[in-house]
Amino acid sequence: MATVSLKSIKKSFDSTQVLFDINLDIEDKEFIVFVGPSGCGKTTLLRIIAGLEEATNGEIEIDGIEVSDAHPIERGISMVFQSYALYPHLNVFENIAFPLRVAKLPKAEIENLVMRAAETLQLTDRLNFKPGQLSGGQRQRVAIGRSIVRQPKVFLFDEPLSNLDAALRGEMRVELAKLHKSLDATMIYVTHDQVEAMTMADRIVVLSEGKVEQFGTPMELYHRPSTKFVAGFIGHPKMNFLKVPHLSSSSKGVSVELPEIGEQLLPVETKAENSGDELEIGIRPEDLILSKTAKGLPMKVEVLERLGGSTLVYGSVSLNQNFCALLQGDALVSEGETIKLVASPSSFHVFDSNGDAMKRQEVPEVMS
Amino acid sequence: MGKYTLFQKAGLYLAVLIFMTFILLPFLEMFMASLRPLEHLFRSPYQFWSNDMSFQAYFDIWDTVPMLGRYIFNSVFLASVTTLLCLSFVIPAAYAYARFHFKGKSVSLGLFLGVNMFAGAVLLIPLYKLLRSMGLLNTYAAMFVPGAAFLVPTGIWLLKSYLEKIPIELEESAWIDGASRIYILRKVVIPLAVPGLIVVGVATFIGAYAQQFLFAITFNQKRELMPLPAGIFEFVGYQSVIWNQLMAASIVGIIPVLLIFLFLQRYLVEGLTKGAIKG
Repeated sequence: MATVSLKSIKKSFDSTQVLFDINLDIEDKEFIVFVGPSGCGKTTLLRIIAGLEEATNGEIEIDGIEVSDAHPIERGISMVFQSYALYPHLNVFENIAFPLRVAKLPKAEIENLVMRAAETLQLTDRLNFKPGQLSGGQRQRVAIGRSIVRQPKVFLFDEPLSNLDAALRGEMRVELAKLHKSLDATMIYVTHDQVEAMTMADRIVVLSEGKVEQFGTPMELYHRPSTKFVAGFIGHPKMNFLKVPHLSSSSKGVSVELPEIGEQLLPVETKAENSGDELEIGIRPEDLILSKTAKGLPMKVEVLERLGGSTLVYGSVSLNQNFCALLQGDALVSEGETIKLVASPSSFHVFDSNGDAMKRQEVPEVMS
Repeated sequence: MGKYTLFQKAGLYLAVLIFMTFILLPFLEMFMASLRPLEHLFRSPYQFWSNDMSFQAYFDIWDTVPMLGRYIFNSVFLASVTTLLCLSFVIPAAYAYARFHFKGKSVSLGLFLGVNMFAGAVLLIPLYKLLRSMGLLNTYAAMFVPGAAFLVPTGIWLLKSYLEKIPIELEESAWIDGASRIYILRKVVIPLAVPGLIVVGVATFIGAYAQQFLFAITFNQKRELMPLPAGIFEFVGYQSVIWNQLMAASIVGIIPVLLIFLFLQRYLVEGLTKGAIKG
């Protein structure tokens, strides 16, 4: 139905540049998530696609047609706002019917389309209510109803779940994923929550300071983050980082010196420019396990969080570097003690002094 | 806000009492004067209450000034037309000031406020010439056209701050759904601005009611078009002033405004304080 492609989009507000040369090709029916910390430009990018904001430079194509100067309605997009933007003086029926009334559709057809949208979203018994009388989840559904009722080619969502409580957010995530399957439309979704990005997206765009850090499937981002920023942003709890001396490089990988473990070969692809005295390694908390021998990364345990099925251990490794490990629920650890941690060499990520990742040679099957 | 002590409460009520006395005493004296027979008005010593008081003046006014009913109608009619005319300019202007960025925005807003500093009286002669060349003298328009013009600036300022409170997403959402600016104004902005419109409407109506006198005696000589404040002059004769009837007619003339106030005061208080605190 609709592809979206952005060609060298730039955006400045007065003298502040907020987007730097964004290039993206979004395929038909994809669920794309823009994710990044606040202020990274993700909402601005969405508003540019919507036509609410004009790009300072660059082109937007929807279905291969240049739409940079087109009105939102001509672009065939619809948008769900963070605040839902429901009309407080209209009831649910009229809120959903609004785009159809604008389009001056016949009464019977409006009724028909609104009822169908209301059924999809389980709102049929709420049609006469005003938005003020609805719960947060219901308001959210009305906002979605208003966007699906005129069958656009591309759906835009601007942090739609951020006003909901955690339990409802989980529910709505599943509902949105279902909706995506049933509507068969291209969706672009903005969030700062990497869990939403990981669970819903076909592909994720990680943005940082107005630039695309990485564009790939959730598993690519998790297993092969291209930069330290992406590695630290994707995954929960966050990846641990540690600066270590760089001993040597070969086709098998890099050799580094790990505290109390000594020389360790990490299987990554090296490039000529990756030389240097120091490298930064990254290891995810879920890849760490308790060492069965006396050898291992020494971690002083400061806080323990026992979740039942698993145990989260917070503490520090050499020179107060904060570390976190996700261990088994019954791990024999207590606060104040120093534990030894090990991980398989292939699970380490290695970053050079620019923060660029060296490609890992071995990654799990799920990638392919 | 915490609870007040008894002492503080007493102080508050005392302050309110002094203030209200100051404001309302003239009205009370007006009412008392309307009840007294004319020959007893200047009686010395002053008597607050006497046995010969009656509502007779309220019946006599209609005979003394046969067109009194017409004058009251003219007043309400002129104030209503002024209000409608004023609002038809204020709504689009306030919306533009609340939502668009353009060159000279703050300068022109300041100028509007500056216009309010000129009392209408300063501009009477130029206005007279203007109205004469437009052929509007001695018509209703001679009174409501300048009347509306003087009330537009305050209206813009009042409504602008109210419109700025309406979330911009509502308009953006409608814009994305294909609605035109005018459609958005009609179907989204105005329905949501009703409380603000009531405030501006009432303020304009009262302003229009109060300022009629000046424009009426300057730009109009037709008796049948005169509003009440000017018509009341007929109680002032060459020999004597029929004070009790004049007071009675004034009270009858205030009643329409009073009713509007009582009916809408809930909105008025809500609306005037609404823009004061950031939500």
